[in-house]
Amino acid sequence: MVALSSNSLDFSRKSFFTQVRSLPWGLILMICAMAMIGVAILHSATFTNPEEAGLPMRQAVRFAIAFGVLLFTALIPLRWWFWAAWPSYLATLVLLVAVEFFGFTGGGAQRWVQIGPIGVQPSEFMKVTLTLALAAYYHKRWNDYSGGFLIHLPALALIAIPAALIFRQPDFGTTLALFASGGILIFLAGLWWRVITAIAVAAVASIPAIYFFVLQDYQRERVDTYLAQLTGASVNVMDDGYQIEQAKIAIGSGGWTGKGYMEGTQSQLDYIPEQHTDFILTVLAEEFGFLVTSGVLLLWMVILGLGLVIALRAASLFARFAAAGAVATVAFYILFNVAMVLGLVPVVGVPLPLLSYGGTVMITTAACFGLVGAVHLGRKDPLNSRA
Amino acid sequence: MSGNRPIDALFNRRAVIAAGGGAALFGGLIARLFQLQIMEHERFEVAAAENGVRLDLAPPQRGRILDRFGRALAAHRQAGRVSIVREQADDLTKLLSALSEQIEISPERQARLIRDARRQASFQPVTVKSELSYEDFSRLAVRAPSMPGLQVEMAATRSYPRGRDFAHVLGYVAKASETDLERLSEGANAQERAAIRRLFKHPDMRTGRSGVERFAEEWLRGEAGFRKLETNAAGRIIREFDDPTLAPRPGRDLYLTVDAELQKFAIDRFGEESGAAVVLDIETGDILAFVSTPAFDPNDFVNGISSADYAVLRDDVEYSPLYHKAYDGTYPPGSTFKMVVAAAALEAGVIDPRERVYCPGHYRFGNNTWHCWKKRGHGSVNMHSAIKGSCDVYFYEVAKRMGIEHLADYSKRMGFGQRWELGLMGGRSGVVPNDEWKRAARGEPWYEGETLNIGIGQGQVSTSPLQLAVMTARIANEGKLITPRIIGEGPRPEADIPFDEPMDPEHMQRMKAAMFGVTSEAGGTALRSGDLGLGGPRLAGKTGTSQVRRISAAERATGILKGEDIDRRLRDHALFVAYAPHDDPKYAISVIVEHGEGGSKAAAPVARDILAEALRIDSRRAPSYTQTASIGGGTTGGGAR
Repeated sequence: MVALSSNSLDFSRKSFFTQVRSLPWGLILMICAMAMIGVAILHSATFTNPEEAGLPMRQAVRFAIAFGVLLFTALIPLRWWFWAAWPSYLATLVLLVAVEFFGFTGGGAQRWVQIGPIGVQPSEFMKVTLTLALAAYYHKRWNDYSGGFLIHLPALALIAIPAALIFRQPDFGTTLALFASGGILIFLAGLWWRVITAIAVAAVASIPAIYFFVLQDYQRERVDTYLAQLTGASVNVMDDGYQIEQAKIAIGSGGWTGKGYMEGTQSQLDYIPEQHTDFILTVLAEEFGFLVTSGVLLLWMVILGLGLVIALRAASLFARFAAAGAVATVAFYILFNVAMVLGLVPVVGVPLPLLSYGGTVMITTAACFGLVGAVHLGRKDPLNSRA
Repeated sequence: MSGNRPIDALFNRRAVIAAGGGAALFGGLIARLFQLQIMEHERFEVAAAENGVRLDLAPPQRGRILDRFGRALAAHRQAGRVSIVREQADDLTKLLSALSEQIEISPERQARLIRDARRQASFQPVTVKSELSYEDFSRLAVRAPSMPGLQVEMAATRSYPRGRDFAHVLGYVAKASETDLERLSEGANAQERAAIRRLFKHPDMRTGRSGVERFAEEWLRGEAGFRKLETNAAGRIIREFDDPTLAPRPGRDLYLTVDAELQKFAIDRFGEESGAAVVLDIETGDILAFVSTPAFDPNDFVNGISSADYAVLRDDVEYSPLYHKAYDGTYPPGSTFKMVVAAAALEAGVIDPRERVYCPGHYRFGNNTWHCWKKRGHGSVNMHSAIKGSCDVYFYEVAKRMGIEHLADYSKRMGFGQRWELGLMGGRSGVVPNDEWKRAARGEPWYEGETLNIGIGQGQVSTSPLQLAVMTARIANEGKLITPRIIGEGPRPEADIPFDEPMDPEHMQRMKAAMFGVTSEAGGTALRSGDLGLGGPRLAGKTGTSQVRRISAAERATGILKGEDIDRRLRDHALFVAYAPHDDPKYAISVIVEHGEGGSKAAAPVARDILAEALRIDSRRAPSYTQTASIGGGTTGGGAR
C-alpha cells in the first residue's frame, strides 16, 4: 500500500464540487424517480388503513436519508473503500457472531444486534462488505496468480462463512442473496465452465437433501405451497398459499392499464398481507397494469445496466468487482422479489429495492449504488503501482 | 475502458454473459407478468370481484296487517339493536364486559349470550339488546368501530300500534323456535330446510306464532334477498351495493274486515269485565269487531317475553287473557238459544206459533221437575211471548215435542257445532249434542230428559260467541246463510258450509218480531236496553244466562241463588245477542260478560252501546281494499251487497 502512486493524488486535488458534478447523475436521477414511484404506490397501499397513514411520509424521509448515504458513499475516495474492505468484512463477521449470542429477535428470526441506541442487522451490512472483500481478494490474487481453479476456493469460503451464520438466524433470503451476488463475482472472475456445470448438477442433486435436512418447517411449508400453486393444485387459500393466491389475483386483475391509482380493490381491501413491504409490486400491477409495471422493470434494467457499464469502465479490478457485486446484489433482490410475487419462486422474505416499505433494504441499496458512484469517480485509479 | 490485461477481457466477456442472463431473467418476469395480467386477466378479474363482495342474507320486510279502512294493526318500527358476532370478536367475554360498561347486562345474561353465540354459526349475530334507547344507540354506534365483533344497527321490528286491541286476532310474531322451524319446513327438502333455517335464524326474522300472523305467514313473509356488501379481508363492510335484483321482496299487506275504531270502543266498553263480543255485518258476514277481554300486548312477545311476565298471563285462569274467548271460548248459549229451538219447532211443525202453553213456574217430565227461571211462572204463553219473557217451560215443551235429532240438525244449519275457519288459528266448534254424539262421547244413549235442558240452551250444548253472532245475523237477514270472515284481502280460508239449506224467511221474521219484543214491548226481558240512543232506531235482541254450575235444589230452597253471596268464579255468564236497527238490520252482535249473572243487566247494555257506536261511525261502509266476492256465497248469495 506504500506504493500508492501519484495518480491518486490527482483525484484528491480535485475540488469537492467538481467531484459532485462528476457523479453519474443520470443513474442517480433514475434511482430518485424509482424511489418516488415507491412512495406513491405506498400511499395507495396504505391510505385505507389509518394505522399505516404515516408510512409513505416515513418512506420519503428514509429515502432522503438513503440518498445522503448514497452521496456520502459515492464521495468517499475509492482507495478508502479498498483499504476498508478487509476490516469492514471482519467487523461485520464479528457482529454476525454477536447476533448468534447476543442478538434479539425481530419478525420471528434473530437478526438484530444492539449497538448503542439502535438495532442493526449485520446481515444487511454483509451484503456490501462481502462484495468489498471479494473485490479486494480478486484484485490482489489476480495480480499474483494467473487463473486456475484453486484461486476461487478462498472466495467461496469468504461467502460461505457469513452465509452459514445468517442461515442459522434464520434468514433464507439473505443467505441466498449472498450466494447469488458472491457467486456472480466468482463467475466474473473466470470460474471454469466445467466447474460451473458440475456445481449446477450438484446443486440440483442436493435439492432434496436441502429440503429434508436443512430447511426449517416453516420454510418447507413455503416451498410446498410454492410447488402446489405452480402446478396449479388448489392451495388452501386461508393458509400459506393465501398470500400468493391473493397476489396473483391482484396482479392478474390489473390487465393492460390497471384499475387506476388508489382504485385497486385487492390492494385497498387489505387482501394481501405484507402488500406494502414485500408484495408492493401487487399494488403497482393492480392499479397501473401491465404497461406501467413492465415499464418499472425496464427502468430497473436500465439502472442496473448503467451500473454494469460503470463497472466495465473502471481501471482497477477492485473497482470492477465492487461495482459488479453491488449491481448483482440489487439485481438479485429485484429478480427474486418479482419472481416471488409472480408466484415463480417460493415466498422468502425478499423486498423490492426502493419500492418496498422498509429502511434496511433502502439503505443497502443506497450503499450499493453509492459504491457504484465511488467506482465511477475513481474509475481511473488503478489502486496500485503494478498496473 | 480498460482491457489490456487478460483478466480484463475475461471479466468483460463474463460480465456480458451475466448481463445477458440477467436480462433474460427480467424478460422472463415480464413474460410472466404478461401471462398473469393479459392472458389470464379475465379469470383473475372475476376472482377479484368475488373476493371483495359478500352476500348477506337480507330478510324480507313482513307485510302489514290493516283494518278494513287501511289503519295499521301490525306494522314496523325502527329500533336500535346491538348484537355480537363471534367470528369478528377477539374475545367474547372481554367484548361483553366492555359492552356492559355501556349498557346494563347482568353476568348471567353475559354467560348466556356467550353460550348462545358458541352454539350458532360463527358469522351469525347474537342479539344482546334490541330496544335500545336513542342515547344508548348513538353512544354504542360511536364506539362500535373500536370494538370488533360488535354490531350496532337500526332494524325494522314488528310493532302492533293498537296494542291489546287486536291481540287475539293478530296473534304475534316471535323468533322461530326449533318447533317453529320444524313446522315451517314441513314438506321441504334438505336444501330448502337449510335455507329456511338460515333465514329464520337471522336476528331480524320473526315468524307468526298465533292468530293471523301465523295463519297468513306465507302471505306476509315475502321473499328473502341479499345485501351485496364489499368487505375487506377482515370481513369489515366497506360499502353496500344497490342491487335491485337481489333485494328482498317484502311481504304483502293483509286487510282485515274489522273496524279498529269499533274494536277499541267495544274493548273500552267492557271496562274491567272479562268477556267477548262479536259484531257482524249481517249481509256480508264481515267481522267488524272481534273482542276478547282482557287481552295481552302482542308487542311484548316480539322480542321474547320474559318467562315471569308470561307466567302472569298464563296463570290468570280467572280472566285468562291469552284465551280468545270469542272464538276459542264455548259456553252454553242459555236463553239466546231459544230462537233456534223455536224456529226448529216451526220447521218441524210440532207447534203452531199461536198455540198457548201454560207455565206454572215448573215442568214435570217423568219423575223429575224442571224449573222456569221465573218461580211464579209466566202463565199462558205463545211463541212470541215465550221468547219475549224467556219462558223456560214453553221451550221444555217444544223441545220435547220435536226431539233432540231435529233440534240438533237445525242448530247446525244455524251455524252451531262447526268450527268457522277464519284464518286466525284456533277456533272451536262447540257441541250440538244428539244421540250419536253422546254415544261417542259418553258411551251412553241419549235420555229424553236431556232434550229439555238443551231446549233452554243449557246442559251439553255449547257455543262460541262467534257462532251466536252468526246465528243472530242469519235471523236478522231472514235466513241467508252468511258465513263469517275476517280476512278482507289476503289468504282467505276455504269456505266450509256443510249445511247449505237456508232457513225459512217467514220463521225468521217471527223470531225477529219476538226479539224486537224482548227489547221493546212490555214484558220484554231487555226493555231497558232497547233504545240505541240515536233518536229512533231500536235494537232487537235476546238475553241469556250461561250456567256455570248446576244450582242445587238445596240452594234453591234456601234462596242462595245470585249476586254477591257466591264467589265470582261460580256466578253465571251473562249473554246477549242482538241486531240493529230493528227495522232495517245491518249489524248483528253477540256479547258475553263472564260471570256477569244476568243477560239483561250485564250484557245487554254493552251490546246496545256497541251497536249504537257501529251505527254512528258506520263501520260496515265500503272497505278500502278491493272488494272480492264473498266466500260465504252459499245458495242464497250471501255475498250480495
